[in-house]
This record gives sequence, C-alpha cells and structure tokens, in this order.
Amino acid sequence: MALTVPTRKPPTDAATAAEPVFRVDGLWKVFGPKAERVPADPELSALGPAELRARTGCTAAVRDVGFEVRKGEVFVVMGLSGSGKSTLVRCLTRLIEPTAGTVAIDGEDVRAMDKARLRALRRHRAAMVFQHFGLLPHRTVLDNVAYGLQIQGVGRAERRNKAAEMVAKVGLSGMEHRRPGQLSGGQRQRVGLARALAADPEVLLFDEPFSALDPLIRRDMQEEVIRLHQEEGRTMVFITHDLQEALRLGDRIALMRDGRVVQLGTPEEIVGSPADDYVRAFVRDVPREQVMTVRTAMRPATADQAGSGPALAPHATVAEAIEAVARAGAPARVVDRGRCLGVVDSEALLGVVAGTTGPGTGTDPKGTTGAGTDPEAV
Amino acid sequence: MATLTAPAPRAVPAVLKHHAVRKLAFLALLAAVLGPLAAARWGGPAWPHTLTVDLTGPLTGVSDWIIDNRDSHPLFLYFFGHLSNAVVVSVRAVYLFLLAAGWAGVTALAAAVAWRAAGARLAVGTAVAFLACGALGMWVPTMQTLALMVVAVLASVVVGALLGLAAGLSDRMDRALRPVLDTMQVLPAFAYLLPVVLVFGIGVPAAVLATVVYAAPPMARLTALGLRGADGEVLEAVDSLGATARQRLLTARLPLARRELLLGVNQAIMMALSMAVIASVIGAGGLGDRVYQALASVDVGAALAAGIPIVLLAVVLDRVTGAAGARLGQERTSGRPWLPAAAALAATVVVAVAARLAGRPQWPTSWTVAIAEPVDRAVDWMTAHLYSGVPYVGGTADWAGHFTTWVLDPVRSALLWLPWWSVLLIVAALAWLIGTWRTALTAVAALAVIGVLGVWQPALDTLSQVLAAVAVTLVLGLATGIAAARSDRFDRLLRPVLDVFQTMPQFVYLIPVVALFGVGRAPAVAAAVVYALPAVVRITAQGLRQVDAAALESARSLGATSGQQLRQVQLPLARPALLLAVNQGVVLVLAVVIIGGLVGSGALGYQVVFGLAQGDLATGLVAGVAIVCLGLMLDRVTQPTERRATKGA
Amino acid sequence: MRLKRRTALIAAAAATCSLLTGCGAADMTKQASPFAAVRGSKTLTLSVQSWVGAQADVAVAQYLLEHKLGYRVDTVQVDEVPAWDALSQGRVDAILEDWGHPEQEKRYVDDKKTIVRGGSLGVTGHIGWFVPTYLAEQHPDITDWRNLNKYASLFRTAESGGKGQLMDGSPSYVTNDKALVRNLKLDYQVVFAGSEAAQIAQIKQFAKERKPFLTYWYAPQWLFEKVPMTEVKLPPYKEGCDADAAKVACSYPHTPLQKYLNAGFAKSGGRAAAFLKKFRWTTEDQNEVALMIADQKLTPAQAAKKWVDSHPSVWRQWLS
Repeated sequence: MALTVPTRKPPTDAATAAEPVFRVDGLWKVFGPKAERVPADPELSALGPAELRARTGCTAAVRDVGFEVRKGEVFVVMGLSGSGKSTLVRCLTRLIEPTAGTVAIDGEDVRAMDKARLRALRRHRAAMVFQHFGLLPHRTVLDNVAYGLQIQGVGRAERRNKAAEMVAKVGLSGMEHRRPGQLSGGQRQRVGLARALAADPEVLLFDEPFSALDPLIRRDMQEEVIRLHQEEGRTMVFITHDLQEALRLGDRIALMRDGRVVQLGTPEEIVGSPADDYVRAFVRDVPREQVMTVRTAMRPATADQAGSGPALAPHATVAEAIEAVARAGAPARVVDRGRCLGVVDSEALLGVVAGTTGPGTGTDPKGTTGAGTDPEAV
Repeated sequence: MATLTAPAPRAVPAVLKHHAVRKLAFLALLAAVLGPLAAARWGGPAWPHTLTVDLTGPLTGVSDWIIDNRDSHPLFLYFFGHLSNAVVVSVRAVYLFLLAAGWAGVTALAAAVAWRAAGARLAVGTAVAFLACGALGMWVPTMQTLALMVVAVLASVVVGALLGLAAGLSDRMDRALRPVLDTMQVLPAFAYLLPVVLVFGIGVPAAVLATVVYAAPPMARLTALGLRGADGEVLEAVDSLGATARQRLLTARLPLARRELLLGVNQAIMMALSMAVIASVIGAGGLGDRVYQALASVDVGAALAAGIPIVLLAVVLDRVTGAAGARLGQERTSGRPWLPAAAALAATVVVAVAARLAGRPQWPTSWTVAIAEPVDRAVDWMTAHLYSGVPYVGGTADWAGHFTTWVLDPVRSALLWLPWWSVLLIVAALAWLIGTWRTALTAVAALAVIGVLGVWQPALDTLSQVLAAVAVTLVLGLATGIAAARSDRFDRLLRPVLDVFQTMPQFVYLIPVVALFGVGRAPAVAAAVVYALPAVVRITAQGLRQVDAAALESARSLGATSGQQLRQVQLPLARPALLLAVNQGVVLVLAVVIIGGLVGSGALGYQVVFGLAQGDLATGLVAGVAIVCLGLMLDRVTQPTERRATKGA
Repeated sequence: MRLKRRTALIAAAAATCSLLTGCGAADMTKQASPFAAVRGSKTLTLSVQSWVGAQADVAVAQYLLEHKLGYRVDTVQVDEVPAWDALSQGRVDAILEDWGHPEQEKRYVDDKKTIVRGGSLGVTGHIGWFVPTYLAEQHPDITDWRNLNKYASLFRTAESGGKGQLMDGSPSYVTNDKALVRNLKLDYQVVFAGSEAAQIAQIKQFAKERKPFLTYWYAPQWLFEKVPMTEVKLPPYKEGCDADAAKVACSYPHTPLQKYLNAGFAKSGGRAAAFLKKFRWTTEDQNEVALMIADQKLTPAQAAKKWVDSHPSVWRQWLS
C-alpha cells in the first residue's frame, strides 16, 4: 500500500503559541471494583496489566496519560485494539468517566463540570464520529444530521437548512430523504461526519471512523477529512489502529500500548526514530521515503550548489526528492521562502530509504521535536 | 432414574471430574442420607400430612371479608371502584363509537388502518374478515369483544410499557421484575379469574382487568428487551451530542426499541384475544359469551359461528401488526405523510355516513349465513364414523381407552408410587443437569410448595397427564415440523391450519373432542395436544429452516443424502430451537390443564373449575397456585442455558 | 419550571380521572354493563345458567319483557354461585331458576338482605342417577340401587379403573355422589365430566352406540327427549337425611325451583319486577321451549316467540 499524498500539509505555525485545545495530564481510567485506589497507590499503579488484574480484579485501560492537542492540528492516537485509545478519547468529553488525572478544554477543567456545563461542551464544543456510525435508523439522512441541532433546541426550519448545507458539504446531496439502512458504509459515515459538523464544534473527535469501511472507500474518506481540515482548519483528535492512516492524517501521533503512550511525535519522528523496540517493530514496514521529508536527508549546500538543481519544499517527501533528483541527474535544493536551506543528493536519499539516516541527524526547523520527546510520553 | 436413588457408586476420580457426574453423585449421596430418614420418619410414598399447611380457613376468611366489605370499605370505594368505573366508562365509549360508526364505517376504518400500516393486500383481507363477522350474524358480539379488546389492549400496552421502561432503564427494577414476569409467563389464564372476580364481581371490569394481567407481561418483557438491546454506539453517539436523559429516551432509546415495542403490542393483542373467550366465564360478554352459551347447549355449530370471528380478528390483527413491524425502517418517504392518512379517514367517514343515510347502520339480518346446522351435521358425521368401528385401526374411543390404560395409568401410578422425596431429588437432578444449582433450587421449591399446600396427589395426577400430552405433542409436532421444513408446499398448506388452531377458542373444539374420545383424561390430553401443537410445529420448522446455509451446503458438497443432512446437520444445528419447542410445548400444555378439567381430566384442572363454579377460593386458589408451581418446575427443568445467557444482559 | 409542569400534569390527570368516573366514592356494586341500554331504554340484566331449561326461562321472559313491556334485556351466563354473588351486587337483576343454595340464601337473603325471594317458578326439579331406557328394558332390575353392583362390569371404562363408572357433570352442580357411592358400598367410581357440555356429548355418544352408562342427571331436562333415561331408585329421601354431607345415603329431594331478585330491583323495578315475580309455568312448557333450543337448534329468541305465539293464555296472567 502506497501513500500518495503529494505533499505534507504545511505546519500550523500560528497555533503553537496559543492555549492548547485539550490538555490531558496524568489521566487514568481503571475498570473494576474500587477502581479509584489503583492510580492513588504507587505500588498498584506500577503493576503490569496481568498482575493488576490478579491483585485487584481491575483493568487499567488508560494509565497516566498526558498530552496537549493544539488548535488546528490533527492529533492522532494510534494503537492496536485493547490499547486503550477508544477509552482515552471518550474520557475527553467524559462519555467514560476518568478515574484520575485532569482533562482541560481551552483551559477549563472538564472533570469539574456539572451536568449542564458538560452537556454544553458536548453540544457545542466537541463532536464525535463513531466507528459504526451511531446513526438513528428510524430517521432520514437529513434528520440524522439535524439531530444534534434538535437536541440543542434549534428550530425546525433552521436546523433543516443547516443540515442540508452539511449534507451537501459531505457530498450526499440528493440523499437527504434516505434512511441509514439504504446507504453504503461510506455514505453512512459521511452522515456521521455531517452530523458532527452540523454543530460547528471547536474540535472533532474521531473514534476509528473508517476501520469498518472497504479500503477504497476508506481512502476517499481520509481525503475527505484532509480536505475538510484544509478548508476549515478545525482541530481534530483522530483514533485509529491503522498506521498508514495515522501517518497520512496526523500532524502528531501518540502511539499507545497497554494504556500508556509509548511515543508522541510527528510521523517523521515516529518512523525515523522509534522510541523503543515495540514502536520499531510497528513502523518497520512503513515505506520511509513517503513519510520522511527531505529535511532529514538534507546536508548544508555548498556555494555552487545553492543556485542550481531542482527546488523542493522542506516538507516534500523523500520519494518526491528521489524522483526530482533522478530526473535532473543532480542534487536537489531545499528551498523555503526563497532561501536555500540545503541540498539532497541520491546518496543521502538512499540513506533515508535504507534507514541509516534518521531525523536526529538533521536540523529541525519545525520546532516540534520538543513536544515529541515530552517526558509525559512514558 | 433408578441410579439416583441407588447408593453412590465408588466413582473413579477421573469420572468425578465430570460436572454432571459430580452433581449426580452429590444428589445420590443426599438421597442415601435423607431417603431412609424420611422413610423412617413419615413412611409411605405420598407427601406426609404433617408437612402440609391447610389454607382453607384463612382463604375462606379473606373471601368472606371481601364479600362483606365490597360495598363499604374505602379500599373498594375509592380504589377498585374508580378502577372499575373507568373501565366501564371507557369500554362503553368505545362500544358506542363502534356502534355509531356502523358496520360499514368500522369495516372501512379497519381497512384504512390496515392499508396505512400494512399495505393494500392486508387491507382487503381485513375488510373481508370484518364482513365475514357480520355475515356470520355476529356483528354486535364482535363489536362488544372489540370494544373490550381495545380498552384491555391499550391498558396492557400502557402498563406493560411502563413496567418494561422501569426494567429496561434500571437494573434493580429488572432484577425485581424478572422473576415476576417469568412466573406470569407460565400462569394459566384461568388461575387468576377467581381472585379478580371476588374483588370486582362478574362483568366487564373483571374481564378487562384479568385480560390486562394476562396481556401486560409480554409487553413488559419485550419493552425491557428492546430498551436493553439498543445499539450501544448509537446511544453513545446521542450522549456525545449532549442529549439530556429525556431527549435520549424519547428520541433514541424508544425509537430504537420500536420493533420490540410493536412485537409487544402484537403479543398483547394475541394474549388479550385468547383471554376474551376465557373471560366469558366471568361475564365478559361478546363473542366469548356466545361460544360459552353454545357450549352449554352442546352446539358445535353455534360455537364455531362465534369462534370464527375470533380467529379472523386474531389472524388479521396478527398480520397487520406483524406487517407494520416488518415495514419499520423502510417507510416510503413522501413529502406529506399525513395526506394518505387524511384521505383514508375521509373515506371512512364518507362510507359510515353513506351507510347511515342508506338506513343500514346495523348489520342487516338478511345478510347472515347460518353455518351452525351444516357444521353440526358434519361434526356428527365425523364423530359417528370415527368413534368406533374404523376397520383395522379401531375407533377413537378405543384409542382413548388404550391410551388411558397403557400410558396415562402407568405413568400416574409410577409417579404416585415414587416416594415424595425421591420425586424432589429427580426434579433437582434434572434441573441441575440442565441449568445451575439456582435452577434446581427453584424447581424443587416449586414442587415443595405443591406438597405443602396439600395437593401432592392431584398435582402428580396432573403431571402425568402433562407428561403424556407433551410426549404426544413432541412426537407429532417434531414430525410435522420436519415435514414442513422440508417441503414448501406442505408448509404453505399447513400455515392457515396452524393459525386457526392457535387462535381458535378451546371451548369450540371441546365438544368434538369429547364426542371422539369420551369423557376423562384422554380427551383432556387431546385438547392439550391440539392447543400446543401449532407452536411446536412452527418453532421446529423455523429452527430447521434457519440452519446455517453454508453448513448445509458443505454437507451437500460432501455428498450427504437428504436424510443424512437432516440427521447430521440440520437437527444438531437446530438444537436451540428444538429445545425451545420442548419448553413451549410444556408451558402450553400446562396452560390448558384447566380446560382439561372441563372434559373430565380431574385433578388440579377440575379443582380450579370447581373453585370458580362454587366461588370456593380455598379450593380454586390452592389448585391454581399448584398449577403455577408445576409450570415453574417444568419450565425450569426444560429451560436450557438460553435464559441464563440473557440474564446478565 | 419543570416541577410546575409536572404538577400541572398530575393535576390534569387527576381531574380527567375524576371526570371520567365521577368524584368521591365509587360503588362498583352499582355498575351496569357497558354494553347495556344502548338505545337509552329501560334495561335489566338476567342471569342465564348453563343448562337449557334455564335458557328457556330467560328466553321467554326476555321476549315478553322486550316485546310486551318495552324493556331491553341483557343476559349474562355465569355459574350458579357467582350468579348469586352478582345478584347481590346488582350486576344481575334476577335469577329465574335456582336449584337450592341454602348457604348463599342465608348469607344474602337473610343476613345481608341484598336479595329477595321471587317466588316459585312452577317447575319441580329432581336430581338422580339415570340409566338409558334401552338398558333398563334389557335388565329391568338394574333400576334398583341394590342390584347396581351386579352390573358394575357393564359400566366399566378406562377412566373408572376396574370399577363401574358413575358419570357426574359440571362442578357447579349440587352432588353427593362420592358419599353415596361410599355409603351404599357400591363398586363404582365417580368420574367428573367437568362440564355439562362434556357430559351431554358423552351421553349422546353412548346412546348412539347403545352402550350402557350410569349418570348423574336431573329433570326437567331436554336431553330426556333425545335419550330416554330411567331413574335408578336410591334409598328414599327423608327430610334431613342429607344434612351431613359425609353420611348421605339417600336419594336427592324434589326441589320446587325458585326465583330470586336483587333487593333494589324488586323494590324499584316497576312492571318488570312485578312481571318476573308472577312468571310461573309448568315443566311441560319449559321442556317445549328447551327442546326447540337444544334439539331444533332455534335461537332462544325464536323458540320463545314460537311458544309465546301458541300459549297466550299462560303468559297473559304474568302481565296483568
């Protein structure tokens, strides 16, 4: 399977300074009898899953997780099934009540919210898209999309107008009066997406939204999400078990295992410098040339090289660079806003593909590695 | 059975590891200890007299108190009185409406509703059914029954839905209600006529309330099931949109459960209809009363003339609600959904007014067809030719005699010969093997209550009849079911017959059954078989048909003959359905034990009938409770893992 | 806000409820059937017992009340003891044929005074043991109870288990048969048919086959016209010989059948009550109507009309 996104999205520099949309710190979710004692007790919280279950009968789905979601970014939480990622995203709006830790949205403590405030949060600020769509089978497409607005108490005419607009936006025009049972899986998820968008939320939460779809449809939907993100710049938290999907969509990726975040960083960092063997095994089969950018393979340009050769943007992938270099027969320049940052030649590019060069060796103009190596990624 | 009472063999440890063997070994040990003790202490196979409690005194006291205080005590004046008044007022309102609409209006209205809910074909069927009721000369009784049914079904649906809501939304309520609903499920309708009559007197209020008690439990069960079975992710999605608890219930949970709700309404209607006839014993009026009166003059034809409208009503209502349920979720989407409904309503009004203007609001007597006489002649001919002297196979009278002598008598004497404690142990063993120790405990407790109430002997007599009837039902039902599953044409032929037998009031076929099999336990068994057979056939056929097509295909690809397919694939895979068929067979057979009392089965059935006829609460209620206990016990002994699987949900 | 709405809802529900049923106490013993009096006429309810004789009484009374007095009559079919109960409550206005229920009579007529006696029906009822006449002709001595043991084997069936079968009917009927069999030391087993319908069906079937049978039966009864039966003589009835139910060893008495009226109806029932008190006919009259119903399969109304048309002298006295 090849990743064919021509260019990685431009980094969202503007957002870096602002208040994060979500700030999660020391978050625990333990299922089982007297769950609250597990995070509180250092001895218990240090136990592995099997021992914990044997000792207390509890299962820790989320263990001591912390991260920040910045405004406008696509934050992907990735992990295999059972790693706690779906529980984690539900803790964000307290669809599942966290056991310990803090969750803040725009600086406001979610766990301290009363019922009404929490409802307001769910109605206006964060909307979720579900794996199996969660559509109401007895309502038409239009009424499903309008459902969130109905819950908010929006008048009939207004919500229908808004819903029709959303239906058009996700490309389902003409199907307004069908029922979910008459739609294909991809179409149903478009309805789910439209429903989430209808409330015009600050942040969209996706819980493995495309894993129930056929591969081709999945691709379409991923592109749809990318398009939406590019058009609206809405913050997104995206849960997936599919590494390819995570790499395609994510500005940053948190990789979870057994309830913990084992690594948090840009796709490039995850692929280029895995934090441990688990992550390494995970990303082994990723076609590196399609994830790594030319920045990784770049070396300082000598004076004569600075003026010649094909020009590449710093976020161009290595695969693109290879194509450019092969076509030109000469090293390519990496140019950012007219300034030449460096050059890549076939040797350096091959080094990336072979895995002998990593992001650690290059400079980091994006300035995101700081977050990537946060100590909170335990 | 014998292994149970025998002392425990020195089992090899390896064998002991097996669960069933361990359970049996434990019970055998218990038998070895308790058996001689019990035998020494009380002796004799019958339930010891010292272990019984005589409730005659207290029950007669209660009965007398109610009769003396019925017209003065506040409980009656301010609670039951209003309840009763409300029933009378609402039944009367519906009845007057139906009469005002006239036969043409009612037929048009029913057809219009059927058309909206289930399509044109069923609308025609509905209209024909109503016209047939009129043609049989039963228009007014049909309207009386319909009025009673409307009120009873509405009340059952409301009560059942409320109980179901409670059980569906609260785990605690669910735990509290489930055993009650389980018990109601096996409660024969006759059993609670007596207490209801005592409080409300004979008449429509008592009939409606008895019907509600009978018809509400399935609604409650299905409502709870629907609420609990809702897709979790949809509910989560609703939550994630910030719905309040009420929004969540009204816009998501209830609509998501609508299939089950509709099935519940369907069930409530069917139960209410079957009760409409039984309730005629306590003065419900309407069609049931006609059947009952015809029974008194031993007039099968007249009973059938009143029974056919009941069958027609039942089939039509069943089909229409069923079709409405099947159409859920694929409704056509038109811009103005009210338009056809308004058109239908307008047409109804026009037809009603037209008939009124034509001077025919009541069904014209000249349009009736007398079927009583030809039916009587046909029944006479049949009984005359089948009763005795059929070449080679003998007559039905001989069969009945042989069945009584060679099956019923030995089973009964065997049961009565067994010491009471060994019967308890056998039941415990059966229930334990099929379920958990909890199942076993319930079954044994139910049986013990029978003993304590002092009706051990009649209960075992009834049990012997039930066992025989179940055996016959299963043999016939499984054979017919297999045949129906294997031949589509046979299935099509069978369906209407099953419909008729399932809905035909039992009072109608009581007389032919007596005419064929004489008076006694054999006709009671025959009546029970007739009643229970349709359900068993249906479940069997359905179970076999629903066997995984892939498994069948692979068997066929291996070259299995159709007999091999049946034995090696279909029957084993349809096991859950077959077990359900057994369970349903048992419950249904037990439900007509009391009807059996009307044709000479004696035992518990007769005692309930006696209690009802003589207003004897002590005899009737004790026998009724014993039947319920018998039902509980049999249900537990035949109910495999299925229920426990859903219990946690 | 929410609380207010809920309160309003409850108040509305309560108001509707009391509007529907009237305020304050509701005495359900004073309720009529919802199916009664649809055309707003004067109405009354008669109890029909399950046997055809009683149906004949009610049919004729109903016909005359409806056609000569302008009443509308509803009928309810219930067993005898519940019918007494209903009569005391006013659910039923009259019972036209009662075979003697001393316990109920004492409770409702003497103690509670909710029921009053309506006089004799003019028909005398008798319960006894009967064999078909064709059998009595074959074995003339069978009609004496002392010879019954000799013929016990004739009456053996699968249900009676080696003994002779004595068939009893509906559980609602008065019977001493179990005690009689025991006290007269008869080699018989009482088998309860459970309902009169079952008993009649069985008797007819036996008669068709000309088989021997011994049954509890009563007169007047239309079935005698279809299946002639002869009574078996039991030890003669003496006043009080049936006082102790366990020690009965005598035949059943001849009972003049009685009418009973609800006390309120008797007082304020106008012409209908007066008519029902005067209603009195003979066994032959009753049988004539009963036979039309049971044998010629006329509806009770048709049978009543036929009888009324042909016996004006009898019923005119009831209306005066």
